[in-house]
Amino acid sequence: MIRVLTLLAALAVATPALAQRELTVVAGGGQLQDHMRRTLFETFTRATGVPVRDSSYDYNVGPIRAMVQARNVTWDVVLVEAPDLIRGCEDGIFERIDWSVVNRAKFLGGGAETCGAGAIGWGVSVFRDLNRNPTGPSNWQEFWDTQRFPGRRTLRRGARMTLEIALMGDGVPAAEVYRVLATPAGQQRAFAALDRIRPSLHFWTGGQQPLELVNAGEVAFAVGFVGRTANAIRGGARLDLNWDTLLFSYDYWAVVRGSPNAANGMRLIEHMTNPAPLRALTELWPINPVTAEVANDPAVRARNPLMMSNHQDRGLRIDTEFWLDQGPDLEQRFAAWLNR
Amino acid sequence: MQRPSGLLLGVTALVLAFLTAPMLAALWLSFSPTELLRFPPPGLSLRWYADFFGNERWVLATRNSLIVATATMMVATALGTAAAIGLHLGNFRARGLLVALLTLPMVTPFIVTAAAMFFAFSTVGLAGTLPGLVLGHTVVAVPFVLITVLASLSTFDATLLRAAASLGAPPSLALRRVLLPRIWPGIAAGAVFAFATSLDEFVITLFLAGPGQFTLPRQMYANVREYMTPTILAAASLLFLASFAFLLLTEALRRR
Amino acid sequence: MAETLPRTRAALAAWDGRDLPPEAAFAALADELAAALEERRIGDVSQRLNFEQPGMRALLLRTARAAPRLAAPYAQTLPALDARWSEAETWKLIRRAGGPTTSLYLLRAVDMTRTPDGEIRAVAPDQAVFVTLFLRTLWVSLIVTVACVVLGWPVAAAIAALRPPWSSAALLLVLVPFWSSVMVRSTAWFALLQREGPINDALLLLGLADAPLQLVGTRFAVLLATIHVLLPVAILPMVGVMTRLDRRHLQAAASLGASPWLAFRRVWLPLSLPGVAAGGAMTFLLAVGFYITPALVGGERDQLVAWFIAQFLNRDVNWGMSAALSVYLLAMAGAVIALLRVLTGGVTPAGVRA
Repeated sequence: MIRVLTLLAALAVATPALAQRELTVVAGGGQLQDHMRRTLFETFTRATGVPVRDSSYDYNVGPIRAMVQARNVTWDVVLVEAPDLIRGCEDGIFERIDWSVVNRAKFLGGGAETCGAGAIGWGVSVFRDLNRNPTGPSNWQEFWDTQRFPGRRTLRRGARMTLEIALMGDGVPAAEVYRVLATPAGQQRAFAALDRIRPSLHFWTGGQQPLELVNAGEVAFAVGFVGRTANAIRGGARLDLNWDTLLFSYDYWAVVRGSPNAANGMRLIEHMTNPAPLRALTELWPINPVTAEVANDPAVRARNPLMMSNHQDRGLRIDTEFWLDQGPDLEQRFAAWLNR
Repeated sequence: MQRPSGLLLGVTALVLAFLTAPMLAALWLSFSPTELLRFPPPGLSLRWYADFFGNERWVLATRNSLIVATATMMVATALGTAAAIGLHLGNFRARGLLVALLTLPMVTPFIVTAAAMFFAFSTVGLAGTLPGLVLGHTVVAVPFVLITVLASLSTFDATLLRAAASLGAPPSLALRRVLLPRIWPGIAAGAVFAFATSLDEFVITLFLAGPGQFTLPRQMYANVREYMTPTILAAASLLFLASFAFLLLTEALRRR
Repeated sequence: MAETLPRTRAALAAWDGRDLPPEAAFAALADELAAALEERRIGDVSQRLNFEQPGMRALLLRTARAAPRLAAPYAQTLPALDARWSEAETWKLIRRAGGPTTSLYLLRAVDMTRTPDGEIRAVAPDQAVFVTLFLRTLWVSLIVTVACVVLGWPVAAAIAALRPPWSSAALLLVLVPFWSSVMVRSTAWFALLQREGPINDALLLLGLADAPLQLVGTRFAVLLATIHVLLPVAILPMVGVMTRLDRRHLQAAASLGASPWLAFRRVWLPLSLPGVAAGGAMTFLLAVGFYITPALVGGERDQLVAWFIAQFLNRDVNWGMSAALSVYLLAMAGAVIALLRVLTGGVTPAGVRA
């Protein structure tokens, strides 16, 4: 027993000091990250000679907060969601972006934040199986019309996005949604709208579920991540993806505060948001660049008709600030509503 | 009940079928040519197996997971068994309290344990290392070993040890020849728990593993917004088949 | 909180709570908020106050950003920036939240709250959710535990009675679920239970149902999948105990003319009780903290407490709330285990005779 412990201690001591570790970038994993490795990370190493190691996480920021507080930062550059970025920036979890290294001018509106540089866009929208449902709702009001389009609908389990959708289903124009939702009357209206079609509603928790539910005929109409739906269509599924019901946001590259590789992290971010590596990435995967030159590139757009950048102007950008303020309260009320 | 009755065997067969059915379903689906999980799959293909072996990350993750799980199993089984024997044979007042304390990591949500261990391990340089990860998994695996071994010990007659001692056997011999053989099934069950806990553990891994240390769950809980490939079904099926082969092998060795 | 606004708190301590606080409090707040924003530690206080009163985060950030431009007297310029600074309630909130400890999280975790005046009352019905969740978690865990013990006992007994290689083969089948993650198993259950899945097909074929049943997203699916995940946990400790049982006790019972039922009740069951207690306790403790499977195969009314603990800790970074929920969950689990110990007459789950 003592021998085992001694061995463990010896191994721990023998582990090289953390300061010498390679530049580490952490993203969401999966096939997308395999492609990122080839087009974004490895090309950086080739251009600068700085080795990059990549790892994955599940978009939950608990570990990042823990490593900053413990002053034991082992991740340098991370891909984070907008609310986590803004909050983390206020809390001093992420470094401020060094705009003398990263070119601020290349991003779309909302793509350059104090602590984050826009990486990729993502969104949700309504889709259906064309074999089972040749016709379906073309906007949120029709989505709420269970007489005209009978069948179960599935939404993401959570207040964010669901309450916006409920208001739009109740006839609030997209431009007015956040103004209305900020008032107690507007919040009541959103929950009342949900109440009205509650028997037809189902709520999913994992990103793969909407596709499985539609594929299995469990629901007629689903709100799901457009990236997955687009991939399913490219894989041969007969799905209709409705861009008029798009809600979208961006993910950002950020540097963890206290990272010993912060300077190289900024250089990596500049490289990863440059047109050449991003173009290479769009050839492998239909990502949604937040860099204007690539997002508006006709060649890129023509190659990926299902790319969100092509349809972003028809969608509603999720208001991160609104959800940081109202989120805790509305999420709890949503949970209470669900369990009633 | 020297021979199990027909009723007992019938119920057992039904429960075992219930336990295996989803695994067989996963095995079948791992040969599906599409991402969408539909029964029956629209054909058979080795696509996800090709994906598994074609991607070094998956192979590396499987290897890492097996290494960490095996190490966790060995450390946790040794510690848990020792603790159980001490708690069972020892005669002191805080025994119930100690058992409660040692089983606490099982009830505490793993993420709470994970965050706490990260802070503790950071101060001694264990966070982000493989030994640190094994220790982290060991903390949550020990209670399983402790409980199963204690349960086995409760049917052990302590007078046997005294008999061994009176016959001149030193304690280490008595332990090896008298005690351990009698509680062996409990130790084995605890070891299996420790292995399985480590194999499927994600949260502690996320906090304690170094950036280069991929494990299977880490490969699997990837990108929430992107497609989850059935590659994980292929990985699970391979583990399942490997364990089956392992059992056949040990059975064959035992027969010789 | 106390570290972010020390001078504001000192100024508020002297305030009588009527009307508005003195100018010193206004000035200290403006100054300290601006400094906190600049030094990037404002999140601490803004999240904490926003949890008590939605909208406080926006108010504090707005004030912090504007503060360098504002001038004395702050008692006039702050209310001009936002009318909430002229409300005594806002200041009371800051004063109360400044204390070193708070009972707010423990209250919120059981659907209670405190008014700005410190009075404790139930939260609005449209916010109450945790009591329901605790009762549901308890109920689901108990059902799962009983089912696992009842289903697992015969399997353990059979494994103990069978000869190798049959016993090891049966044991291997028990362990099969361990070779895949909870995620894979839940996915497999989804595939089996779906409307056009094999289980519905079989029901239709056998004439047990007229139309495909809605199985996914029901409590039934949650129980089925959870029992499947935890059944091996119940079985293994029972196997561990039963294989070491002295079979002569049973032979003796049989030779004395005891019926199989009597032998089971008077001999077999009491002797296997330590294993049953260990298996049952482990199953229950794990069931209490279980959430991935219910989230994947259950419906909206099937969420359990542990899901919220994980969300608060990892996603919302509201550690106070996750800690409060954990405390109640631990207390609940402890109470049930203690009750089990009393009911089984001192055979503790861990097999230690107290």
